[in-house]
Amino acid sequence: MTVMTRALLTPVLRTLPWRALAGGGATALLLAGIPRMLSGAPDPWLGLISLRGAALALALGLAFLLDDPARHITSAVPVRRPLRVGLRVALALPGAALCWTAAVFLVPEEARPPVGALTLEAIATAVFALASAALIIQRSTATEPGVAVSTGLLSTAAAAFLLLPDGWALLVSPDDPRWTDTHERWAMLLTVALAVGTRACVEPLRAWRLGSFRGRAQQAAPL
Amino acid sequence: MSDLPTTPTVSASGLTLRYGGTAALDDVSVRLGEGVTGLLGPNGAGKTTLLRVLATAVPPDKGAFTVLGNDPGTTAGRQEVRRALGYLPQAPGFHPDFTAFEFVDYVAILKELTDRTARHREVRRVLDDVALSDVRGKRIKKLSGGMRQRVALAAALVGDPGFLVLDEPTVGLDPEQRMRFRELIARAGEGRTVLLSTHQTEDVAMLCHRVIVMVRGRVRFEGTPAELTARAAGRVWSSTERDPGAWAGWRTGTGSFRNVGEPPKDADLVEPTLEDGYLLTLDGEASEVAAA
Amino acid sequence: MSTVLETPARAVEPAHPSRSWAPVFALARFEARELRMTIPLFGLSILYVAWIVWDTTQRQGDYPILQDVDRATPGMPLLIGLAVMLGVNRAVLRSRRCDTDRHFDVLVVEPWRRTVAHALSIVPAVLFTAVCVLVQFIWAALKPGAAGHGSPAELAVGPLTVLLFGMLGVLLARLFRSVFAAPVILVLLLFGMLFVAPSSGSNWTSWLGPVVTESGSNPLPSDLLERPAAWHALYLVGLGLTLAVLAVLVSGGRTTVVKAAIAGSVALTVVGVVGQSAGTPAGSTPARDRATNAPEKVQTCLKRGGSTYCAFPEWTGRTADWAEVVDRVQNLAGGSAGGERLTVRQRIDATYGLTSDTLISPSTTPGQVTVGTSWGGNRVPEFAAAVASVLVAGNEKAGSSVCDARMVTIMWLALGGESDPMTALRNVRLDDSVSGSAIVLSPTESMSMSAEQTRIVVELLKKPRYSVAGKVKAKWTELTSPRTTTARVAELLGVPAADKSAAKAEADGDSCAE
Repeated sequence: MTVMTRALLTPVLRTLPWRALAGGGATALLLAGIPRMLSGAPDPWLGLISLRGAALALALGLAFLLDDPARHITSAVPVRRPLRVGLRVALALPGAALCWTAAVFLVPEEARPPVGALTLEAIATAVFALASAALIIQRSTATEPGVAVSTGLLSTAAAAFLLLPDGWALLVSPDDPRWTDTHERWAMLLTVALAVGTRACVEPLRAWRLGSFRGRAQQAAPL
Repeated sequence: MSDLPTTPTVSASGLTLRYGGTAALDDVSVRLGEGVTGLLGPNGAGKTTLLRVLATAVPPDKGAFTVLGNDPGTTAGRQEVRRALGYLPQAPGFHPDFTAFEFVDYVAILKELTDRTARHREVRRVLDDVALSDVRGKRIKKLSGGMRQRVALAAALVGDPGFLVLDEPTVGLDPEQRMRFRELIARAGEGRTVLLSTHQTEDVAMLCHRVIVMVRGRVRFEGTPAELTARAAGRVWSSTERDPGAWAGWRTGTGSFRNVGEPPKDADLVEPTLEDGYLLTLDGEASEVAAA
Repeated sequence: MSTVLETPARAVEPAHPSRSWAPVFALARFEARELRMTIPLFGLSILYVAWIVWDTTQRQGDYPILQDVDRATPGMPLLIGLAVMLGVNRAVLRSRRCDTDRHFDVLVVEPWRRTVAHALSIVPAVLFTAVCVLVQFIWAALKPGAAGHGSPAELAVGPLTVLLFGMLGVLLARLFRSVFAAPVILVLLLFGMLFVAPSSGSNWTSWLGPVVTESGSNPLPSDLLERPAAWHALYLVGLGLTLAVLAVLVSGGRTTVVKAAIAGSVALTVVGVVGQSAGTPAGSTPARDRATNAPEKVQTCLKRGGSTYCAFPEWTGRTADWAEVVDRVQNLAGGSAGGERLTVRQRIDATYGLTSDTLISPSTTPGQVTVGTSWGGNRVPEFAAAVASVLVAGNEKAGSSVCDARMVTIMWLALGGESDPMTALRNVRLDDSVSGSAIVLSPTESMSMSAEQTRIVVELLKKPRYSVAGKVKAKWTELTSPRTTTARVAELLGVPAADKSAAKAEADGDSCAE
C-alpha cells in the first residue's frame, strides 16, 4: 500500500454514502431472511427469489457508491481516478461480501439454490450497477449518479424478468434445463460489465462524450 | 489589442468543445501570463467550459493547450498540470459532514501532499489565508454560504499551485467578504497565473491586469482593462431624457440618464468605465464598427 | 406615503385569484413533460410499443382469445408503472435535492398543492398506457381469427397499475426525504408481494397485488372465468386515490375536502377488497360443471360438408378453420373413412377455473374428435393428428392408444395435406425432432411414434402427395389393420426397407410392448 493510499483511506471511508450502502445491505438481509420467517416447509423457489432480491438490493446500495458531492473539486487533482474509484470499491467490498454471505446463510439450507451460480448473478448485478455509475461519471458532469443508476438498474431488472426472450433468459430456476446456459450468459454479462467499468474509470484525454442526456446528468453541463 | 507583457505560462489554441449541437467553445485561443486575468462574458458564453477545459476537468474536442510547459493531452502531462493546479469550480460540492479542516486536508491528500505534518501546516496556512482559522473545526453543513465559498478557495489554494482557475469566486459574497476575496486573489496573483471568471466588471477593474471577453463560445476581446475601457471612449453620454438611439441606457441616482452607444452630435460625453467598454464589446454591431 | 402612489401599475395582473387550480394544472403539465423525458420512462415506453407490435404480429397470436388477451395486458404496464414511480419520486424530491425547498416553500403554490400537481403529472402516463392497452386489445380483436369477449375491468388494470405506482412514488417522496428510499421500498414491495401472495388468484391475499395473472394452458369461455375483475379495478382506483390523498395530507393539505377525500377513497378500497375477496369461487360452479361434463347443453352445432362442428358460443366462428383441416385429412383417407361423418366437439376442463391444467380424456364416442379452445400454430397439426387417429382407429380412445404400424398412416393423413409437412411434423412432436421416437401431441392424450415409423413418415412426406395418396387409398384396409407390421406398411407405401437390425428392433416394437 502506498503512502498515498494510506493517507486517503480515512477520508475516503468517510465520503462513502453510508446510508445508501447500509440501506441496501439491510434490505438484502431482510429479503434473505423472509423464507426463514415464513411458516411451513422451506420452499426452494422462495429461497431463490429471496436471494435474487437480496442481490438486487445490494446492487441498489452499491449503485450509490460512486456518489461524490465534491466531485467538481476532487476531479482535477493529480491522484488518478482509477485509484479514487478503486479505493471506494475496495472499501465497500468487504462489507458487501459479508452481507451477501450472511444473506446466503439466512436462507434455510433445504431451500438454498446453488450458491456459486447465485453469487455469480449477484456479482454481475453489482458490477453492472458500478459500471453504469462509472460510465455516467465519465460521460457527464453528474456528481451523484446513484439515483439514475438505481432507477436504471430496477427498470433493467424488471424488463429482464418480463421481456427477455427464451433464448436470452437470465432468470430461470435451478431445475430449468437452461440453468447452465443462463449462467454462461451471466458470466458474459459480468465480463462485459467489468471491461466497461474498468474502461470507464480511465479519464479520457480526448473528448468522447455522448450528448448530455436529461435525467442522466444530474446537473446539465454549466456553460 | 496588446501582447502579453510577459512570456505566456498558459497558452491554448483552437479549443473547441460541443455539447449536443451547440458549440460551448468555438476555436478559442488564449494566452495567459503571470498575474490575474479576468474572463468576462454573459451567461452561456462558454466561460465555465473554458475554465473546465483549462483545469483538465474535461478534455476538448479539438485544439491543444499547455500549462506551465506541460501538455495535458498526454497522461503524464496532465498529471504534471494537475500537480500545479488549483481549481475552484462554479458550484463546488462538499461533504457536509467534514469539517472545513478535514475537507481541505482531504483535497490536499488528493494533491499528493502525503507528509502529514507538512500537509497539516499547509492546510492551516490556507485556512488562515481565507480567514477561516476560527471555524476550521466546524462541520461544513454548519457554515454560511460565504464561508463555504472560502473553504472551496482554500481547497484551490492548498499546495501552492502555480496556476489558479477560479470560476466566479465572488458570487454570493457580501461587499466586505468580496473585498477580502479580491485582496486574497490579488495576493495569489503575485508570481502565479490566475484565471478568474466573473460577471462583476469591478472585480476585473480592481484585480486584473488582463481581461478576456467571451461571447457565444468565441473570444471577442483580449487585452488590458484599460484597452477595454478605451473602447467606450466617446460613446458614453449623459442626457436628461431617455435617448432612444442609445444601445443601452439607464437612469442614474442623480436623475440623469447614462447612455451607451453611438452618441448624437451634441451629446454630453462622460468618462467611460470598464463596464461601458464591456457592454459595447458585447454588442456585435458596435464592436465591428469600432474595429473598422 | 407618496411613494406608494407613485408605484406604476403593473402591466400584468395575476389573471386568477389566489387558491385557483390553474397554477396546479400548469405545474402538472410541466412535471408531466419532465417525467416523460426521463430516460427509463422514455426507453420503456418505446420498448412497450415495440413489444405490442411484436407480440401481436407473431404467428402464435393469429387466433387470439380476447378474454385472455385482456388479462395479459398489464405485464408491460407494470414496467411503465415502475419507471413512473421512480421518476415522479425523483421529481418530488428534486427541489430538496437541488436545495430549492427553502425558496419554493414560501411560494404562492403551497407544498401540498405541488403534491397535487405531481400526482396529476402521472395522468398522461396513465392515459398513454390506456391507449397502448386499447390498441393492443383492439388490434387483437380485429384479427380474423379472434374469438371471445374482453372485459373493460381487466383492460383497466394496466393503466390503474401505473396510477397506483405513480401515487406510491409521490407518497414515498413525501414520507422519506431520501432518493434511496423509493427503489429500496419498491424492491421490498415487489419481492414481498411474491412471498406473501403468489399472483395465481387462488386466495384473497393474492388479489391485493395490482396484477393477478392466473393463466392456464387452455382458454375458457368468458362466462366461466368468474374473476372479480370489476371489484379489483375498484380496489386499485381506491388504493391509488388513498395514496395520493395521503401524500397531500402528509405535505400539509388539511382542508375539509382532503379529509373527506381520504375517507371516501379508503371506503372505496375497502369495498373493493371485500368485493374481490368474495369474488372467486374456490372450486367448481354449476356452469363450469356443465361446460366440462355436458358441453352439448351449452354448445351450438353447425354442419359443414358431411361433418358436424359443435363449439361454445364464442367459438362458433372458428368452425370453418376446423372444417378445412378435417376436409384436408379426410381427402387423403380411403375406404369408408373418406366419407365418414365426424363430430368435432370442443371440450374443456373448467372444473378448477383458469389454473386447472388437467388433460382432457379422449372421447369413446365413435367418430367424435375433440378440439380445444386455442387454435393456430401447433394446435393445427395436433388437431389433424386427432382427426386422422379417429379415421383410422374409429374413436379417439382407440386412436390415442395406437402404437403399431397404423401410426404411419395416421401421421401421413394428418400431415400429408399440409403445405409444409416437415415443419408440421416437427411442431406436432413434443421434442421438435424429425427422427427417432417421440411423443406426438393431440388435443387429448398424446400418441407415440417409434424411430422406424418416424423414418417411414419422413420418407412419405418427401414424396409427391398424389403418389402416396393413391397407394394409401388402394391399400386402406391393410394399412388400418392393427396386425400389419411396420415393415409391411413400408413395403405397401413404397418406402425402402431399413437395415436389418433396425427392422428387427422395430418388429419388437410392433407389439406395443414399449
